[in-house]
Amino acid sequence: MSAETVESGAGAAPRKGVSILFGLTLLGLLLFLWLLLGFATNSFWTPNNISNLLRQGAMTAILAVGQTFVIITAGIDLSVGAVVGFTSVIVAWLLAAGVPLWAAILLTLAFGVLIGAFHAFGIVRMGLPPFIITLATLTSLRGIGLLITNGSTISITNEAFTNFSRADFLGVPSLFWMVIVVAVPAYIFLHLSRFGRYLFAVGSNSEAARLSGVNVHRTIYLAYILSSTCAAFVGLLLASRIGIGNATQAEGWELQAIASSVIGGTSLFGAVGSVHGPLLGAFILATINNGANLLNVNSFWQRIITGALIIVIVYFDQLRRRSAR
Amino acid sequence: MTDLQDARDVRTEGLQVATRHPVPKGEPILELRALQKKYGTVEALKPASLTFLSGEIHAIVGENGAGKSTLIKLLTGVIKRTSGEIFWCGKPVQLGTPHEAIERGINAVHQEVVLCAHLSVAANMFLGDEINRNGVMRKRAMTDAAQRVLDDLGFNLPAGAVLGSLTIGQQQLVATARAAMRGTQFLIFDEPTAYLTRQESAQLFRLIRRLQAEGVTIVYISHRMEEVFELADRVSVLRDGTHVGTRKIGETNEAELIALMINRTIEQIYHKEHFPAGAVIVETRNLSGPGFKDVSLTVRAGEIVGLYGLIGAGRSEFALGLYGRHRPTAGEIYWQGRKVDIASERVAMDLGIALAPESRRDQGLCLNLPIGLNINLPVFNRLTRGLTINGQQERENADRQIRDLKIKTPSRRVLASAMSGGNQQKIVIGKWLSHGAKLFIFDEPTVGVDVGTKAEIYRLFARLLEKGAGIILISSYLPEVYELSDRLHVFRRGQLVASHDYRAASHEEVLTQAIGV
Repeated sequence: MSAETVESGAGAAPRKGVSILFGLTLLGLLLFLWLLLGFATNSFWTPNNISNLLRQGAMTAILAVGQTFVIITAGIDLSVGAVVGFTSVIVAWLLAAGVPLWAAILLTLAFGVLIGAFHAFGIVRMGLPPFIITLATLTSLRGIGLLITNGSTISITNEAFTNFSRADFLGVPSLFWMVIVVAVPAYIFLHLSRFGRYLFAVGSNSEAARLSGVNVHRTIYLAYILSSTCAAFVGLLLASRIGIGNATQAEGWELQAIASSVIGGTSLFGAVGSVHGPLLGAFILATINNGANLLNVNSFWQRIITGALIIVIVYFDQLRRRSAR
Repeated sequence: MTDLQDARDVRTEGLQVATRHPVPKGEPILELRALQKKYGTVEALKPASLTFLSGEIHAIVGENGAGKSTLIKLLTGVIKRTSGEIFWCGKPVQLGTPHEAIERGINAVHQEVVLCAHLSVAANMFLGDEINRNGVMRKRAMTDAAQRVLDDLGFNLPAGAVLGSLTIGQQQLVATARAAMRGTQFLIFDEPTAYLTRQESAQLFRLIRRLQAEGVTIVYISHRMEEVFELADRVSVLRDGTHVGTRKIGETNEAELIALMINRTIEQIYHKEHFPAGAVIVETRNLSGPGFKDVSLTVRAGEIVGLYGLIGAGRSEFALGLYGRHRPTAGEIYWQGRKVDIASERVAMDLGIALAPESRRDQGLCLNLPIGLNINLPVFNRLTRGLTINGQQERENADRQIRDLKIKTPSRRVLASAMSGGNQQKIVIGKWLSHGAKLFIFDEPTVGVDVGTKAEIYRLFARLLEKGAGIILISSYLPEVYELSDRLHVFRRGQLVASHDYRAASHEEVLTQAIGV
């Protein structure tokens, strides 16, 4: 018996078990909130309100999934809110210019890819911290969007496009279906493919990953491109929902996305995170806002409650992790 | 000497508590009675009783993992004991926090400097205990006082320089000067010369003797026998968490200490099998790159090529150059007779080169990820079917390495950070066994690894050679490279300065070439 077994003797809980357990606790919290609101208000469990809740949560959820990829590599993407506003302008502008709908959508998504690639370029080639490069684009993209629209908004007249966000499919809002459209491939990518493993490895120790043959630069490009593309996708959904392109929309959504991700168990130090966590996180936040509206809670209080809840949830998550070690 | 005392006087009185209770020279100052430390069910330190006498230099020797660092952490209040008693100046004490240890006058100088690299030397020496007047720091006074202390100690270092601009060795001297100023009664050195040049070591030894003359009790932890015999009055030996004996230095010899430390003979540890050398796997011709120059060597199938030298001699840099991490600037690499350009790690891996790097922590492992993911990291491309990873193969591959290498873990899902040094090294090795290679580069494979695992690793070398692989073994521990290498190359300042066949040169000869006197 030497120091050999010292630490392994102390025992670390299997990681996957913890992740699933945490996911279940979050799901429990979400269901608990729903039950509570069901008792406290008459209007919560109405089809109308549930549809509304699913719509509200959907866009943050998609942003949070993209954001999670970046945070797992120990980075951060502050630009996503600005990308949403910017791409809503782009799609409105393209449609106004007579570009066919399918082409406008693809081009808008391509802008997302370009923005993400630019972030990764700044990080990998110019050596800028992720916080700085994405903070810079956060400011600039809003500026470019305002320049394009000359400070006003561009109306969208394409009815097929604007009807989409109001439509239901199998009784569920189409916006919520979009969460599933994003989440399923995201889950396969992060949890089942080798690229997901590479994201974790780069976030944990990029030098070790590199010496193990992982293409670290490519992995970082991938993470930021996915985040910006998710944001561009949300830009399309938002434009469809409000029927205009406006560069000042989605103010502060990046913080909502980061909060959802962190509530969902993502570690800002990297190498810890999942796809289901941020989804639950986003809908917990949406439920709190929705419930607070129904209960006529002052919207200033809503902000305070949201902030307090982030502290409590993440604190308990930390406690759980520590005791699991 | 007076300047050192002056510097102490400049400072507040608070830290002088210890000096008010002097213990006469030769009387016990610190006594450990059945001191024990357990992590879970594992005893890192078995009940140990040790007495340190006032004013002595007491060396502690032992293999890695013998419990030396546990003992230091207990004495400096970094960790709490499980059971047993500690007596300081005859009175029982807790030593429950680092603050309490420092208050009592117990200080440690660590192998790796734990100071602020961005602050000046003077600011570091006074860190946490700055000279103030009316709440304003007196920067000039501190710089002057620090300079006097440094001059007095004969260190020839500028007090105003930024700490990070000094060499590691110089930083170590600053750390020592800092501890010396702090009213320290009991000073622990944890392998202080690991990164020092000979000159710096000599300066450090002078300082240690001087502190002893001033009445400070010194604990000196090292595995360098020559230093122990040069400095110490008494020496205690730890093995596998047990205190196996204390000797007066005049009444023991190196052979006895080594026998106590490892409890087996050198032949039993350094398992060496000779295989007929096969075809040349790799040859470098005048290879140069960042940190190494003009290196020409060959590795054949079935042989171990040892690279010996001091830390910073360019061995690891050469390995990283060969592996494509840093691109060589001149010279050629021939892989199995064909000229190759190794532009990236992937190229090296695809050729059949594996590298178990120098630092497990910084280069080898993703510590906060599971063992299984670490083992599979180089081979995920092979485990992928279509879009996704074949989960069954992934699990089987990890479990096979854990089983074959006897990695002591309940599951592949445990985080790598929960493993001890020896097991972590096995994870790094497992990674490359699952990938497979013709040429294995092991850079300091046994640092922080216990004796049992060391022997396992050496046996593994033989298994790899048997299968026709070649090995480059980089080590700063001479007996290891000396006993295992079929051909031993000595590096100094980035260059290959000498080469010897198996056991052809003496230890002294090799050491002299590495140091370059």
